Amino acid sequence: MSLIQELGARVRATSDDLPVGLVTAAVERLRLAGELLMWVRQTSGNPMGVPQLAGALEHAEQAAQAVRVAQDSLLAYLTALGLTHDGAAGPDGAWRAGLAAEGDRPVPPSSAPPPPLGQWWAQRVSELTGHEQPPEANGNAATEGADLMRRVAAGVHAGDRDRLRRELAGASAPIGLGMSALAPPVLHRLTSDLLRHLPGPDDLPMLTREAGPRVRDLLPGLPPAVLDTLLARVCRVPPAERAQGEPATHPADSAVASGVLTGVLLQLLHREPDSLDPHAPEPVQQPEPNA
Amino acid sequence: MASVAEVKSAIDAAIQQVSEGQAAVHAANEKIAEAQQSLAAALDGSGHDAVSSAHASLQQAIMELDDCLAATQAAVEQAQAYVAAL
Repeated sequence: MSLIQELGARVRATSDDLPVGLVTAAVERLRLAGELLMWVRQTSGNPMGVPQLAGALEHAEQAAQAVRVAQDSLLAYLTALGLTHDGAAGPDGAWRAGLAAEGDRPVPPSSAPPPPLGQWWAQRVSELTGHEQPPEANGNAATEGADLMRRVAAGVHAGDRDRLRRELAGASAPIGLGMSALAPPVLHRLTSDLLRHLPGPDDLPMLTREAGPRVRDLLPGLPPAVLDTLLARVCRVPPAERAQGEPATHPADSAVASGVLTGVLLQLLHREPDSLDPHAPEPVQQPEPNA
Repeated sequence: MASVAEVKSAIDAAIQQVSEGQAAVHAANEKIAEAQQSLAAALDGSGHDAVSSAHASLQQAIMELDDCLAATQAAVEQAQAYVAAL
């Protein structure tokens, strides 16, 4: 290995280690917390920390952007050194960071009965999946978000709404809500694989056409605006502003829709739910038929 | 009909998400600091624009993450004060 190759390898390794995924995970956690507080305080005059959280979210988004710019600069430097191959962006690993970090979630020490929020979550899941009552308690429920996403994907794969309701409603509210923080980088990556390019505004109609009906079949109670916002975010389209006086959507809606959309995209890609394992190898992309 | 316990639980769930966000920010800050050290050692003496840009961007990322942490702290304190007053 020449000196310049060695330097290139070192710069490349540093660039690959930059924490894009971690900052993205932080952005999504803060976004979710903000949505939850917005929903709680809808009619309250107390700000409850929402403005500060909006400021924190903005700083986190700026940080994510700055890290991406640093990564691009390092890759541009490698290209300038003549290391063109090292200067190409590698596969987007941001989705792994969020899912892998889930394993570090502290387990609550007590086995106390679920707080009232648990019922609130299970009730809303039932409404979304077209049922009136929450299911019986599930003794084998997912205890972390990544596992719940795989179980939801398996339910989508089977086209089984009862199973979806059972898996979703059986999880605790924080685990279920956490899906809306975990899903965005996963959705972005799966959509990129489906389209074979990074999703942009032009892809929104196609994505809506392909994925929308399947999500709606599985979640008949989902307000249409929630899915529209989710798909728009995947395609980097600013979501439509909420009209004055329009109530905030239920925070469970976005979380549940994110999990189901992930399952639908996996199905469109003919991939198994287990491919969501952050330690699974990168799926092999089939070559374009006309390439 | 919502109860005080339910409102508290919802706010606690939001605070838990903020805590997890803060943990990710701390971890990201450490990673960026490591990257800065590694780049400083490897690219010492380089005057290339792309290298200067990378250094500046990483510094900006650290500042933004510090500001983010301060804002989340303020948000959590306000939310906790609200819960305590319920």
